[in-house]
Amino acid sequence: MSLAVYLVVAFGFAIGAWVTRGRATPSSLVGIGGLFVATIAALAIDPAEALAVGGGELATTAYLRLFLILGSAVGMGLAIAGLAGATHRDLPAVTLATLGFGALTLGLADPRAAVLTGTAGGLCGALLAVRSGGDRIGATVGIRDLRAVVVAGTLAAVAAAWIGRDLQQLDAPPIVFGLAYLAVAVAVAIRFGAIPFHVWAARLTEAVPEAGLPVVTVLAAAPFAIVGLGWADSSIAPLLVDLGAERGVILASAVASIVLAALAALVQDDVEHVVAYSIVGDAGVALLALVALEPDAWGPARTWILALVVARSAFAAWAGGLRVAFRTGRIVELRGWIVRSPLLAVAFGLIVIASIGVPGMAAFEARSSLAALAVDGPMAMLVVIGTLAPIVYYGRLLSVGLGRPDGPREPEVEWRPRVGRLDLTALGDWWRTTWDTNRAFTGAMVAALLGLLALATSAGAFGGPEAAAGLAPGGVVPITTAAPSGSAPPPLPQPSAEPSFLPLPTE
Amino acid sequence: MNPALAGVALAVVLGAVVAGSARNARTAALGLIVAMVGGSFLADPLPGSIGLAARVVGSVLGGYLLWIASRGTEARTGGSRLGWPVELLIAAAAAIVGYGSHGLGAPAGGPALAQAAGFALAALAVAPLLNGHDVLRIGIGLHLLVGGAILVRTALAGTPDALEQLVIAGLVATLGGVVATVAAAARADGTEGFDLALAAGERPRRPPDAHPLEPR
Repeated sequence: MSLAVYLVVAFGFAIGAWVTRGRATPSSLVGIGGLFVATIAALAIDPAEALAVGGGELATTAYLRLFLILGSAVGMGLAIAGLAGATHRDLPAVTLATLGFGALTLGLADPRAAVLTGTAGGLCGALLAVRSGGDRIGATVGIRDLRAVVVAGTLAAVAAAWIGRDLQQLDAPPIVFGLAYLAVAVAVAIRFGAIPFHVWAARLTEAVPEAGLPVVTVLAAAPFAIVGLGWADSSIAPLLVDLGAERGVILASAVASIVLAALAALVQDDVEHVVAYSIVGDAGVALLALVALEPDAWGPARTWILALVVARSAFAAWAGGLRVAFRTGRIVELRGWIVRSPLLAVAFGLIVIASIGVPGMAAFEARSSLAALAVDGPMAMLVVIGTLAPIVYYGRLLSVGLGRPDGPREPEVEWRPRVGRLDLTALGDWWRTTWDTNRAFTGAMVAALLGLLALATSAGAFGGPEAAAGLAPGGVVPITTAAPSGSAPPPLPQPSAEPSFLPLPTE
Repeated sequence: MNPALAGVALAVVLGAVVAGSARNARTAALGLIVAMVGGSFLADPLPGSIGLAARVVGSVLGGYLLWIASRGTEARTGGSRLGWPVELLIAAAAAIVGYGSHGLGAPAGGPALAQAAGFALAALAVAPLLNGHDVLRIGIGLHLLVGGAILVRTALAGTPDALEQLVIAGLVATLGGVVATVAAAARADGTEGFDLALAAGERPRRPPDAHPLEPR
């Protein structure tokens, strides 16, 4: 099965890069090579396969394939950006492991197992918080990250288990469905670092390098969120229980994330925090899908999550490129960055268009649809306007970039590519010198390429909206192999089966 | 009540009490291994041999990695400030609640003892998670919470199939590995053992911008 190949590649290279981490060059080569091979393996995934394994099912979908292609490509870009910035040698290994767990999460048909793999995927990110050798601050940040991931996973796992059985003889008030919904929605909010669960995500910027931020907060959380969305749509939405209060709580979290995260990004001193809060804000839009709680939100939500992964990874790569070029992430020290590094300016422009968008672009339409589905009447327009708040912090970065440079005319590290005379008698030295000289160019080029990828994804290229509107994990082909007796999962509530034993108020 | 299952449930809860209250890091890791391995057997019907083997291996591996991170007799963790008798009482109270609320409003697919043990583990996880002052203690709390959630899942929805058992084993082993790595990083930095660098709510300080995380 093609998904199994991807899993072997992702976990195999992750282990390879991890065990060689004592030596930076081989580890980086194995890791980045692994991400390249993983991209190829993702391209080779057949989007309509199913495999019965031990009473469960692994199935591929077009969305899973696209997610893994983009995730692997973006991960490779981030790993190269991290290498250019000499930040964290474990980034490729962690990215590969995260992608492997993401593939399992999106491929498992049973949401009870999928939330567990989604949780395992989130655990790996904590490794990026600690440097090799002793690092007490990193360990402190990392263990708090782990706490958030495990608490979220526990909430979702218990909720999925509670509802994932025969509830025909339920002897409890309908509010228990609301609690189950709230548990999963809060779990997704925690994983994305949505307000008020954002503290752990904001603190990550103190220990995780720029290029690693999207791996920890977006790439690992996205499959978990997609499973949560699918679970809510298939298990909660068809029950027609009045969830006004619970949805209101999640709506408040979503709107607070959208608006307050943009304000927080505006007042930050450094670009790492701007990146972190931009992720929080975009995650708020994804939460709107859980508020909408209807099948129409399925496609737009998954389209948005795809755009979120790529656009925010590009933004993080841009921030990393900025740090490599100017040796600082403090915004006040970056005056004139546009003049000094036109390539980063191009990347920035692409990222801004990709993340804000224009009418007609898939991501823009998805965001508008989610707002309209989550909120009724004129409030929907206000939410849509709120989602444009990133313009404010982008504007600040733009104005700083257009300002007169404070320091010397040229940046310390030249942004253009420079290749010295090739010396065939000392190829190793030539390569090291060339690589060191071109770190800033490499960082900027990666940011520009990821910006281009983000723009294409937001515009709806690669069949994103079609794949996003497709089936949920496990819904592709029925299982052909008989499951062992006594181990098959109990029936989930069926979409058309409204329990007759409950006085369920309809909306 | 199945007496064998009751014995396993008792062992799981006692292991968790040791994990949550011991101040010697290796004793705590040992208690955790007992709790996690025992949890694999707390199902009715028992999982298939492959699933069961995977769970046992995952639990032992996760616990063993913590054991490695706690090498040396001087390795200490916070332990319980109230002492093991209080932890035991908390676990007993939670187990009674879990046993009495078996199924949580609907007929359950698994044994009541699993839910009792799951509630006990979750209750024992609360103090380390909310008030843990060192990396290892918080990590043990995370393991207890995961173990509790898996037991409640088993009690509600029945014995997981072999694939889910593999997933659970992977989760437990990954958690053990990551916690051990993070704990080792804390311990290698200075002489304060596994202690956190910062008090709750305090912001860490980012290294100066001019210096990348690793030397070029």
